[in-house]
Amino acid sequence: MNFKSTRIFIGGLLAAMMLSAVLAGSATAAPQWRFDGTPLEGEETIVGAAEKSSLTLTGMTTTCANFLYEIKIKNSGGVGTGSVTDLPLFNCTTDTKCTVEAIEPKSFPWTANLKEVSGKNYIVISGVHVKIVYGNPLCVLFETEVEVTGNAGGLIENTTESATFNESSFSATGTKLNSFGTEVKWNGFFPAEAFQTKREHKLTVS
Amino acid sequence: MRKQRRKAVPVVVLALALAALGLTGSAQAKLVGEFTKFQYCPYTNTEVKKCMYAVTEGGEVKLGNKTVPITNKVVLQGGFGKPNETTLISKFYGATEGKPTLQPVAQSVPGGLAGVVPDASSPPLVKRLIKFFFENSITGLNSTLELAGPATNIEISEQHLNRKEGLGLKLPVKVHLENPFLGSKCYIGSDSSPVTWNLTTGPTSPTAPNTSIEGSFGQAEFKEEGLMLHVKEDVLVENNWSAPSVTGCGGILAFLVNPIVSSQLGTTTAGHNTAILKNTIDIATAAAVRFIDKENP
Repeated sequence: MNFKSTRIFIGGLLAAMMLSAVLAGSATAAPQWRFDGTPLEGEETIVGAAEKSSLTLTGMTTTCANFLYEIKIKNSGGVGTGSVTDLPLFNCTTDTKCTVEAIEPKSFPWTANLKEVSGKNYIVISGVHVKIVYGNPLCVLFETEVEVTGNAGGLIENTTESATFNESSFSATGTKLNSFGTEVKWNGFFPAEAFQTKREHKLTVS
Repeated sequence: MRKQRRKAVPVVVLALALAALGLTGSAQAKLVGEFTKFQYCPYTNTEVKKCMYAVTEGGEVKLGNKTVPITNKVVLQGGFGKPNETTLISKFYGATEGKPTLQPVAQSVPGGLAGVVPDASSPPLVKRLIKFFFENSITGLNSTLELAGPATNIEISEQHLNRKEGLGLKLPVKVHLENPFLGSKCYIGSDSSPVTWNLTTGPTSPTAPNTSIEGSFGQAEFKEEGLMLHVKEDVLVENNWSAPSVTGCGGILAFLVNPIVSSQLGTTTAGHNTAILKNTIDIATAAAVRFIDKENP
């Protein structure tokens, strides 16, 4: 091996080492579900009830006083994944003359994967599908099935064990919910807690 | 007594005038604000569940070789009933008080008369007659979409429009070509054999050589505390329709002129035509329109 080829070999080795370091770095940076700081092994069910959750189409906001959810979570290949399996919604109203007769999530499960964007951790729910039936014969949507579909990204806050969905979290994750071909704004604060083997253990994402 | 009679006449006249005013007032629409656009919706018919007022503000109709841009606004108004549970399609009810359900608005045809009856390829008789029109600059050609048959032939599916799939609006029309040379009965399509547009806000699946195009539901906005839905930038498309033969062009010379117009249009079977309608749509329930009517006597 001459001097020049040795230089090329060392250069290639350094490049390969740098590349593997970058790949390793990105793998460890992927957010995982953790309980008391330790990555979750196996599956766990988390549940919660949203506070101040609302769905806004231009000119009409629908708010549900009781917005529960259930997500089955696990770490797969070093990345936190999950699926939304239930989302019962009760006591929903609007800020218009329309009432809410029924609101029903469809097409479960919805995938719920963790994602890091600019150093912050998000939960991205894909395949969201909610059917809403509005009441009051005067309401323009009376007896019309309104469908809200798309993806939703929420910012995870470890200190409060919660996820916050708002315009900023949707923008950061590149997610969007639609109804009537128009973007829907979803705002919500979702506290979470484990409900199986990890009950009362601190849930974090990192 | 004479004095009393003199007083009584003006009082009677005044009473009659007031009564007449009162009668006129009750016959007028009592809808106010945004709801006045639904004044010709048959909202008193209990089978009508929703009122619609749609304005086509742009788009184009391509028929064979000819494309006519929509530059003048066209109104489609009326109401529709409860959707069929299986097909999700509703029956349409036309505008009231003799107002047009589909407003006949002329659109200018690019190329004018020469575009559909070219001097060069016409038979000598047609050539001689058409010369007069060209020499006197009566060459402008308008195309007017008219509803073919009764308004009940229209079908609408609010759900399909919302979901951007399937038939959103079935509109049977006939195209009226208007120029003094062509006469007043030059049509493509008729009440019995209409041009049927199965318009969608979703993607189309046309016969070749046309390829799929996609409509858009547009931007939805709720107004009047949720009593009205205002949709702007709605796009309805259809590019798998066929056109029936041209009829009645040239009056008594129709047997000569119809084939010329047809040949200039070229192939008008499915896959060669396109309709793109850009609309602003307002919808309210008939119950809401009745409520506003009652609230404003």
